[in-house]
Amino acid sequence: MKSRVLVVTSGKGGVGKTTTTANLGTALAMMGKKVVLLDTDIGLRNLDVVLGLENRIVFDIVDVVNAKCKLKQALIRDKRFEGLCLLPAAQTKDKSAVTPHQMKNLTNELRSDFDYILVDCPAGIEQGFRNAIAGADDAIVVATPEVSSVRDADRIIGLLEAAGLNKSRLIINRLRSKMVKRGDMMNIEDILDILSIDLLGVVPEDEVIVISTNRGEPAVMENASRAGAAYRRIARRVTGEEVPMFNLDDSNNILDRFKKLLKLAR
Amino acid sequence: MSAVLKSSNGKMQINMQSCRTFAEIKDQLEEQLKTAGDFWLGGGVSIETGHKVLSSKQLEEIQTILSGHGLHLQTNDSEASTGFESSGHDPSLFEQLPYYEDTALICKSLRSGQKIFTEGNVVILGDVNPGAEVVAGGNILVMGSLRGMVHAGVFGDDAALVAAYRLSPTQLRIASHITRPPDGELIVVQCPELARIRGGKVCIEKLKI
Ligand SMILES: Nc1ncnc2c1ncn2[C@@H]1O[C@H](COP(=O)(O)OP(=O)(O)OP(=O)(O)O)[C@@H](O)[C@H]1O
Ligand SMILES: [Mg+2]
Repeated sequence: MKSRVLVVTSGKGGVGKTTTTANLGTALAMMGKKVVLLDTDIGLRNLDVVLGLENRIVFDIVDVVNAKCKLKQALIRDKRFEGLCLLPAAQTKDKSAVTPHQMKNLTNELRSDFDYILVDCPAGIEQGFRNAIAGADDAIVVATPEVSSVRDADRIIGLLEAAGLNKSRLIINRLRSKMVKRGDMMNIEDILDILSIDLLGVVPEDEVIVISTNRGEPAVMENASRAGAAYRRIARRVTGEEVPMFNLDDSNNILDRFKKLLKLAR
Repeated sequence: MSAVLKSSNGKMQINMQSCRTFAEIKDQLEEQLKTAGDFWLGGGVSIETGHKVLSSKQLEEIQTILSGHGLHLQTNDSEASTGFESSGHDPSLFEQLPYYEDTALICKSLRSGQKIFTEGNVVILGDVNPGAEVVAGGNILVMGSLRGMVHAGVFGDDAALVAAYRLSPTQLRIASHITRPPDGELIVVQCPELARIRGGKVCIEKLKI
């Protein structure tokens, strides 16, 4: 299989990039794929924490690009899932410690050993963002149903297009269907109308995410978690499987709306 | 190419159809007047606009060229060039557009943080999203949803128009006039609309094509 480098990005901070990278990566590994997660949020690393791997870090991404160690030495194998690895960010340096060119070489080197290379992008549109997208084949844009998050996602999609990444797909995170119903939260249609990119999935607001993040066990490992289930479906879509958009609610009319949406998103 | 300045029955006329662009018209006019010397001195000149409409600024420019050669613009005819109401039929959008030389065609949506500037007209085959900006010396036409900021007639042309398939800008400017949607009101209009200056104010009306 040809390997894919996917960057998970958003513009706005705190909307769920790291959560998405950890859960999508774990879900893909659960499906038997070989996956490496790259934390490019240098100076603010936390993908290792979300995965519960912090205490195993010896080398980091900056050591690798500066040839302080071999790439294989820096990769941390997740014992729970065969085929899941993490390349952690450095905590004590800043984003200029790595260049886009180095990132491109790094992701290319990883292609030979992995099916999916997921890059967790830092917030913002500066050097950290340019590093993260440098080696990517495609982008996954994460947005929450808020005007400011959608605005930043739109900006990011424009910048991705300018960098030649034209097939970005959207994950809407932290949707609360009750609030949408009351008209207190942007609905999916409104968001897609503005962003006009394909929808990869919708992840509901779920406190299991917070609990599992603190425990270092991604929510996809939790069968009962609704967000975890959403990420498992997203992982199947990433592999190319056609998975219908689930209704977040039980009423039929929402299902119909999703069907319409799917057509719109084509 | 036929001459810009013609005289028939002792009346002199500028024929706007003779050239493609306004710049060409000005050049040709200047050229013709120079070679004619003071042959036409003191005469009045009218403008045959055809389907083109001149902005007041462009009329002024023609006036300047004419007076430089001892001629003047006949005002009754110049009125007709902007006042189509007198011709009796309901004017279409294209007849109302002030005339600009260049039109830029943008074949994509503008996203937040993206900006377009043209000296002439701009036509956007896509949306203008919130956080995007379109600035034009002439008219602005958006074939999708206009949700960002637009500024038409940026060099001061009050006659410039903004038209959109769905007009709901964050802010809309024409020449030195600035408007924004009323606070707290959500107006959902499901038809193409047109914004222009009428009586010193930006007015929004249904677009007739
Ligand atoms: N679907 C969800 N339901 C509940 N909480 C969530 C959900 N997704 C993310 N969160 C919480 O939101 C917070 C921010 O998430 P996360 O760290 O993944 O965002 P980020 O985009 O990586 O942030 P940064 O820009 O700082 O890197 C975390 O505390 C996380 O637990
Ligand atoms: Mg993060």
